[in-house]
Amino acid sequence: MDPQATIVLGKAIGAGLAMIGAAGGGIGIGLSVGGAVQAMGRNPDHTPTIQTNMILGVAFAEAVAIYALVVSLIILFVLN
Amino acid sequence: MNSFWNGKRRYIALLLFLAGVFVALEVPPVIPFIQLPGENLPEGYNIPFTDMRITNTLVAAVIVWLLLLLFLVYIARRRPSDGGEVPPGGFYNMFEALFEGLMGFIGGIAGGPHFRLIFNMFMTIFLIVLLSNWMSLVPGIDTVGFIHPHTKEKFDPATQEYKVITTDGFEIYQGFLGISYVNGQCNWISPADEAAADESALVAAAAAKAAAEQDALVAAAYARYQAAHDGHGDDATEGGSGADDHATETATETDEATAAYDDVLAARTAEKQARRDRSCYTGVAAAPWQDGYEPYDKSKAKDIPMHPDPSSDEAKRVPWVVLPWVRVASTDLNMTLTIALIAVVMVQVVGVKALGIGYFTKFFNFSTLFKSPLGGIDVAVGLLELIGDFAKVLSFSFRLLGAMFAGAILLFVMSFLVPILPWPFFILEFFVGAIQALVFALLTAIFMQLATISHHHDDEHDHAEAH
Repeated sequence: MDPQATIVLGKAIGAGLAMIGAAGGGIGIGLSVGGAVQAMGRNPDHTPTIQTNMILGVAFAEAVAIYALVVSLIILFVLN
Repeated sequence: MNSFWNGKRRYIALLLFLAGVFVALEVPPVIPFIQLPGENLPEGYNIPFTDMRITNTLVAAVIVWLLLLLFLVYIARRRPSDGGEVPPGGFYNMFEALFEGLMGFIGGIAGGPHFRLIFNMFMTIFLIVLLSNWMSLVPGIDTVGFIHPHTKEKFDPATQEYKVITTDGFEIYQGFLGISYVNGQCNWISPADEAAADESALVAAAAAKAAAEQDALVAAAYARYQAAHDGHGDDATEGGSGADDHATETATETDEATAAYDDVLAARTAEKQARRDRSCYTGVAAAPWQDGYEPYDKSKAKDIPMHPDPSSDEAKRVPWVVLPWVRVASTDLNMTLTIALIAVVMVQVVGVKALGIGYFTKFFNFSTLFKSPLGGIDVAVGLLELIGDFAKVLSFSFRLLGAMFAGAILLFVMSFLVPILPWPFFILEFFVGAIQALVFALLTAIFMQLATISHHHDDEHDHAEAH
């Protein structure tokens, strides 16, 4: 097999595998938004507070997915 | 002003929409060039008095600092000195509302004796990161810049050394103010190769001159030999005529040598001119205000195949890529890592300010090692805290870098995928930029607040109460 093709193959597979980590972020965002929506339904008066905290929590959960994204970006664009 | 614009802004939006349609139809697509580290500006754009090259992310960072300085001066000048309640204007009021809202927000999280210090750090980081992030929404940033051939260093296993190669892709050419188009007609010659070709042309010309002189000398010697053997006259006439012959032949051989020299150089000049006539560049293409700038002639361009045969001449063509003048600062790890380091170091500073030197018992907690049966666990927890603070630097920097770099790629890709309607993604980036800035600054504030609390004393207090 052409060595260049092997490198491209390995990079593509590795970047794809690295993005599996994004699943955790997705689960986390789903759980936090689900909980926040339930809380907003129970006491709508506290919607602004809940919403702010929800967005912050979503951003933190998203960070884990972003780490996976950074790893796959490094594999794709930095490794030679 | 306001009444004049009422109901007329929609026409601006319509005009921009039509411009988007026009550009999408008229301008051929280019493959966006994605590079994680900040790109160096071309040769000659150094930091003054050093050899260090300026990156385009540094340019963006400097712009952010200057903008912040302008805001600072503006707000300091507009602030009512007598504490009056009269609102001094819209832009100022925006800042006042922002500061008031965030002060209340941070006051709820980190209100206490160190509130001012924590809020100053929070607001500084928030404003810097927010402005950096929102720069990705400004038209022209990340898209307008120098045009240069896309090369990269590649390790050649055969010769065991790095060499500069050009990568596959499309070629683009310089249009109006650096706006790029596809152009498929040139083989790229690097400036070093061009100089080497000039050099070898000079050498070849000198060789041709020497060869011509040699030929002439041989011919002259042969002529003298012939003259000496043919004419059997007396010595005086022979010597005289030989000298005359020699003088005329020297003149002709100089002419021939100069002509040979000029021919080689003229061929080289013609070759260069032929490249220029096809709008081919050497090295970095000149900007419109620089010497050597040549406007693009669309009639000379040819279509390029989507998938050229690798052995063909087309595959040798070099992709010309845009090297943006300004690239969003937070897409560079240097910027995010710097802010993260400052934030984490300031967390320790706030901790020492609040708790004195005893703050470091958080990391090196040997006080309970021989007193309590679980003292070893306290030591381990302290060391984990120490590792955790280093991990904070990583998580801070990579969170911001990942979010903003992915956002930049998203905007790139969507601008080519849906060239007419990429607006929803710009709105998304607007919110992502704001949320990431808030998260960065808020986490700093929360860590600072945690650093001011002494868990050690609380534990002893609880123990005392329990007993």
